[in-house]
This record gives sequence, structure tokens and C-alpha cells, in this order.
Amino acid sequence: MLTGLLASSLTAGVLAQPTPGQSAPKFRATDVAGKQVSLADFNGKYVVLEWNNPGCPFVQKHYDSGNMQSLQKRFGAENVAWLSINSTADDNSDYMAPAKLAAWFKQHNAAPTAVLMDTKGEVGRAFGAKVTPHMYVIDPNGTLVYAGAIDDKRSTNVADVKTASNYVVAALTDVKAGKPVSKASNQAYGCTIKYSGM
Amino acid sequence: MQFLSALAFTFAATVALPAASQSLPRFGAPEKHVEAELIAATDAIVPGQPLKLGLRLKHEHEWHTYWQVPGDSGLPTQIKWQLPAGFSAGAIDWPHPKRLPVGPLMNFGYEGETLLLTTVQVPANLVVGTPVTLTAKASWLECKDVCIPGDAQVKLTLPVQAQAAPSSSTALFNASQARVPQGTLAATASIDADRIRVALSPPAGKTLDKVEFFPLEEGRIEPAAPQVLKSEGGQFAIYLTAAKPTGADFKSLKGVVVANGGPGTANGWASVVQTTLAAGAAGTATAPGASAGASTSSMSLLTALGTALLGGLILNLMPCVFPVLSLKLIGLAQHRTHSGPMAAHGLAFAVGVVLSFVLLAALLIGLQQAGSALGWGFQLQTPWVVAALTVLFFGIGLNLLGVFEFTMATGVANLKAADALAHKSDWRGSFGTGVLAVIVASPCTAPFMGAALGYAITQPAFIALSVFAALGVGMAAPYVLLTLFPKLLEKLPRPGRWMELFKQFMAFPMFATCVWLLWVLAQQVDAGGVALALGVLVAVGFTLWALGQSQRGARFFRWVAAVGGVLAALTFAPIAVSEALAPGTRTTADAGWTEYSVEKLAQLRGEGKAVFVDFTAAWCVTCQVNKRVALRAESVKSRFAADNVVLMRADWTNRDERITQALAQFGRNGVPLYVLYDRTGEAAVLPELLTEGIVLAALDKLKEKSKLN
Repeated sequence: MLTGLLASSLTAGVLAQPTPGQSAPKFRATDVAGKQVSLADFNGKYVVLEWNNPGCPFVQKHYDSGNMQSLQKRFGAENVAWLSINSTADDNSDYMAPAKLAAWFKQHNAAPTAVLMDTKGEVGRAFGAKVTPHMYVIDPNGTLVYAGAIDDKRSTNVADVKTASNYVVAALTDVKAGKPVSKASNQAYGCTIKYSGM
Repeated sequence: MQFLSALAFTFAATVALPAASQSLPRFGAPEKHVEAELIAATDAIVPGQPLKLGLRLKHEHEWHTYWQVPGDSGLPTQIKWQLPAGFSAGAIDWPHPKRLPVGPLMNFGYEGETLLLTTVQVPANLVVGTPVTLTAKASWLECKDVCIPGDAQVKLTLPVQAQAAPSSSTALFNASQARVPQGTLAATASIDADRIRVALSPPAGKTLDKVEFFPLEEGRIEPAAPQVLKSEGGQFAIYLTAAKPTGADFKSLKGVVVANGGPGTANGWASVVQTTLAAGAAGTATAPGASAGASTSSMSLLTALGTALLGGLILNLMPCVFPVLSLKLIGLAQHRTHSGPMAAHGLAFAVGVVLSFVLLAALLIGLQQAGSALGWGFQLQTPWVVAALTVLFFGIGLNLLGVFEFTMATGVANLKAADALAHKSDWRGSFGTGVLAVIVASPCTAPFMGAALGYAITQPAFIALSVFAALGVGMAAPYVLLTLFPKLLEKLPRPGRWMELFKQFMAFPMFATCVWLLWVLAQQVDAGGVALALGVLVAVGFTLWALGQSQRGARFFRWVAAVGGVLAALTFAPIAVSEALAPGTRTTADAGWTEYSVEKLAQLRGEGKAVFVDFTAAWCVTCQVNKRVALRAESVKSRFAADNVVLMRADWTNRDERITQALAQFGRNGVPLYVLYDRTGEAAVLPELLTEGIVLAALDKLKEKSKLN
């Protein structure tokens, strides 16, 4: 029995990673307005998680092109909850205080359901989020159905957004049609998340 | 000087910040931290002869750019050539990268100075005498703790001559060329769950003492996972961890093996490995531990032993160990006048600790060998184990609080025996304390000793055993020290009421451990499961309380305790039973269900039958709930029968490669999965949480469809 715990520690050292098909880790975090937001608040809805860090050129690509905002608005209209999560540690130069982060989202005319502060990186680590933007889609039962990159063009070049095939759109289209997600996971691209305690 | 410039930068940044923050989140963004330059290996271009060019990247201290496969994040450097007519550039020859850890993540890239090599084909009809300018646009991502995209238009003008001499950069070219992996090394690879084993032999005349594997394909191996090198039966094996989820198309492994620190160091070399990836434990026929050959790893043996020693020392401070040890020390302090030589106690304790650790290691190795055949993780990460541990710690906590004493046959006979032994004041007592300390410490070892354990488990038996022995030596050290220098013992406070208070206080770390375990459990089961576990705790608490009363002379409470015990067992049963179904008893118990097989399914679909496949496992709580709530409901059963739906159950309780593959076809690597094939053979996937309604609705759809056909 005791060896059970010993054995499970063998996988320690690498971020835990729920894979599509498993239920998404439950979490609770505070949004930029100081409100408590929990994944359970969105039971019965599709939820998109977007790992965000305005200092990251890959994130800038999707906001400067208006791509991320248009996804947020499009799916917002379809009753999909969109949570932008910032897991940057507060001692990192990329860190933005809640008010400042809120201002950045406002300035970019973004429309996520909530912008969550995950300064300690707990939500990020629970999902095994590695980069910004790392994208996740959770179905109304709380099952993770997509984890990976935002699209298939790994670059910081704004022009690539137009020609890229968006994985989040594909995943949501598949699950909403009752089909299994054809590409349920892939390697996300972006900047390393600046987790605390490094 | 450096300090001054840092100060100046901080000052400038502070001043610039308010102005820049509106539009630019990062000040200093335009600043470059990587310098790019195009250089040639020769001082001239020779018509018709290939020209060696290099993009020289000079990184500022602590900044890096990326290799062709960047790891967990990043972007490979790109070179877009703009060459005169007749010239053509080949792909980049990448010198092998470095592992660049970023917290829990890993990148592959370059620091300092690097040269990305390219061979350019030169037209034969080039006119000698007219200089040629070669241009390229290089773009990269430069990162420290922040990332900035960088690019540069690089240019190089060279004379065209009949002959060329080496340029001033020849040495750099040679050094970089040497770092480009040479040749392809013969290797075989196999994958078992997420464990990849690559078997290879170093090129003739070369050694393999230390290895780094860089994947040439993305998303295949977990970049940050430790890589372990072992010597097995005259060959070497590199153990890697597959990225999760493992793609169904992961059929071959391609990567760069960098040995002994890579070319540029003594004995260093780098080679490409490309091989098909066999499923199953094909390569593990030579069981780990069976080979007694010399073995090495990316973590040297000495480091591992040192870490283990340190870990052992720290273990003394763990809540699981501290109470036992302090009690023993207090006992020793009490008996210090009449219990024989102190050193003997210390030695007996040390022997007890070290022996137990070695025994534990042997057990682990045995389990590992059994486990590699069964596919472990499934058996060992089961919720009931976690629940049982919670109960254990809760019980220990209550004991520390004085709710009951370990004095009667309480069902934890072993613990009691060890405990009693520990209270003996002769050397056997000290030995017993050693054993008890290790047993009780085990749960604490896990989170703190992950690395050393991970190392030990992948090593030949004797190394694993020495690592565990070192762990024991570390743990016993303070105690031995105290007994060797009894003067220190006198510094210990006098026994008194504080001891009892301290013991009671130690209950709270135990309860805190319970909270942690329950949190772990909450990740594995639903709220109902956690509530059940908490119910067990209430029942156990009640039982132990009643036990305590009876120990204090209230005989009636013996019966109450017995009833409580039954109650606790009954509450625990649902957790245990749903999880611990033995492989032998997992036959499809429900009537009307047939066992899943690929061939049978194909045949039925070919015959135009409707088939419902239930991908399930005994340890999957959701599956059990669905079975009870939906699949066994009378309405559902009768509809299945009326609609002539063939029911198949794919039981994944034990690892079954064919079921794993079937799940992968639906983009899943976990159960439950419910698939309903209609009479045309088309598949519909049902949600993971079933209700009668959902299943019936799916069957309605099926009916409509068959009417249309």
C-alpha cells in the first residue's frame, strides 16, 4: 500500500497533464475584478481556456490580428464560456497586476467571459499548460475534449493567422456536432509560461 | 561595472515604463539580445563548388534561441535565402542543441555563440572576378525569461575566384560542423504505456557514459522528463517518457543522440537515431536489475547517493517520522542510566533503518518487474489505495490525540508489534524503532524523494539498493550521532507533560496529510466518492473512539467498537470493490453482453447489425455509475433487445493494446467511451455521463435512420 505512493512519485518532475477524454481538473480562481470564478460555474456549457500573457509575442500575434477577440465574440454568442487565464508569476517581468491586465484586455477590445489571475500557477499546473497561448476545450459534462495549440501555424507572424487552420474552432465544431474531436490534442506552441517558484 | 550598467538599465526602465506601458507591455522590446551575421568557411566563391555558409548567432548572456525542434515552447530559427540566379541553398545543418530547463518545462536550443550551417550550390558558369552578394532573412525567437521575436537581413559579399582559401572563421566552422550529428546509428525501440526504450550500441571505438536524446519530431517524447541510460546485456538502453496522449500514429522514433556531452568534449559524439517503435514491452526481456553490468545515467551515481543521503536526513523532520523518533529519543533519555552502551542503540537503530529501506527497495524492484508486465500505474494509482492511506493517517492522528492506544489486538497487529518493540529499552527496541520509522516514513518519502526514487527504479538492482541504503543512512545519522555523543542527549529537555502535549500536537500534521490525500482522491473520483471516503473516516473515528472507551474499562464499548468496525468496512466496501476487482473476476457479468473483439465488431458491422460498445474498466467510477444508472435500467435493456442491438463490452481494467487502439481511433485514451454503430456501420459517440434518456434518444435516432434506409 505504501509503495503505491512511492510508485506514483516516479512520474513526478513533469507537469501533470490531463488528456482529452479525461475529466478536466476542477479549479477556482479570482478574476481581474476580484470575483471568484470556478469551473463549476459553467456546468452544462462548453468552456474554452486560453492561457494568456500579453508580454508573449505569440499572444500578441493573436490579439494584434484581432483573431483571439473574434473567437471570443463568436463563441460568446454561441453560449460558450471563454476563460483567459494568466499564470505569470508576480516576480516575472511579464507579470501584470489585475487592473493592468484588465486594461490590456479592454484596450484590445477582447471579450472573454472572465480573465483569471493564476499567479501561483495552480490552474496552469493542474492542466499541464506549458505555453501561451495553450488552448483547452471542455465539454458541458466537464470532460476535456481538446488540448493543444491554437492553430497550425507556429509563428509570431501576424500574417500567418489568416492562412492558419484553427484547432479550437475545429474542436468546438466537432463536439457541437456530436462527433469526436478529430484532432483532440497536439503540441501547443508559444512562450513558456512563467510559473512561480522557478 | 556590470552593476552600474544594471543600475542604469533599471533606472532607465523605471523612467520609460509609464510612457511605454500604454501600448507596449514590455519595455525595451526593440532591444536585441541576439546578434546575427552571415559568414563563409572560405574567403571566396569558386564556380561549381559548394560553398559553406553559416548564420552566426551571438546570444547575450542567459538568452537563447531554438533548435529545429524547440521542446515545450519556442520557435526554430528560420533562414530565407535570397540568392542570385543559379545559386541554391540546402536545409540548415543544425549543430546539436542543449537542454534548457525553464521551471517544469524543457527547451532545446543554443546559448552563447552558435553557427547554423548551410551548403549553397554555386553555378559552374559563374564569372571569375565579379563579386557576388548573398542575402538571407533570418528570423528567430530570442528568449530569456521573456521572449522577443528577432530578425535580421544578413548579407555577405565574396569575390569569385578559381581557388579559395579557408576564411578566418574556419575554426568556428569546423567546431560547428563537428556538432552536427554524424551518421545514423542502428537502434531498436519499443514503447510500453508511456515508457520508451531505445536500445543501441555506440559507434565502433566510442563509449557511452552519458546521454541526451533530442527528438526530431514534435509532441512525441515529454521534453522535460528525465532520460535514463542503462547498460543491458552488452547493449545500452535509453529510457524516455512518451508525451501524453501518445498518438496512435506514433510508430517510429527519430531523434539525435548526444553522448558524453557531445562533440567538443572528450569522448563526445552525436548521431541520428531512426527506428520503428514496437508496441509492448518487447525490449524489456532483459529485466531491469537482472543485468549486473556497469550502468550510468544522466544523474550520476554519486549525486544520487548524495541526494538520497540528504533526503534521508530531511526525513527525520517529516511528520510521519518525527513523533516516533522523538518518543524513542525521550525513552532513551529516560533510560540513559541503565540501558547499556548508547552506541549499541544507535547502531541497532541504524541497522533497522537501513535494512528496512533495502527491503523496501527489493519490494519495489519486484513490483516494478511485475508491473512492467501488467502495465502499472493502473494498479497503483487506484483511488482505494489513497482512501486506505487516508484512513491510516486519520487513525494515527486519533491515536496521537489519545483517543485509543495501540495496546490490544486492534487489527493493526504489525504496527502494534513494531510499536511495542519500539518501546522496549534494549537494542531490539532500537532496531524496532528503526523498522517502524521506515514503515511510517514511506508515505513521506514519495513527494520528497521522487528524483532519487525515479533514478533508483530504472537502475540495476544493486544501484537501486545502494540508493535506498543511502536514504537509510541519512535517516539514521542524527540518531547515531546522538547516541555516539550522549552529551548532546543531555541537552534534550526533561521528560514531562510537554511530551504528551507534543504527541497530541503531532496529530495535526497527520490530519493535514489526510486533507492532502483527500484532495488527491478528489482528483480521481467524483464528489460521491469523496463523501464515501469521509463517511469511512467518521465510521473509523467512531470505532476507534469506542475502542478507546473499552480500553479504559468500559466493556460495553467493545461491542460498540465491533459494530463500528463493521460499519466502517461496509462503507469502505463500495470503494474497494469497485476498484479492486481481480482480473479473474472481471468477466462481463451482465447477461446479454459479449466480449469486445475487433474481428467480431467488424463482422457484425459487415452483417448490418446495430452494435453498442461499452468501453469500460473496473477502476473507472464514472463507468460503474453509468452502468448502474443507464445501461442496467429496465427501459434501456428492453429497448436494446427490441431493437436488436448487439451489446459489446470492451473491458480495459487490465491493459489491452487492442482496446487502447480502438479508443485512440475515437481520439480518446481513457474510458468511459460509448459508441453506437447503426446498421450502416456509422458510429455515434454518446456522452461520457449517461442517463436512460440519452441512451433511449440515441436508440430513437437509430430507428429513424433505419427507416430512412
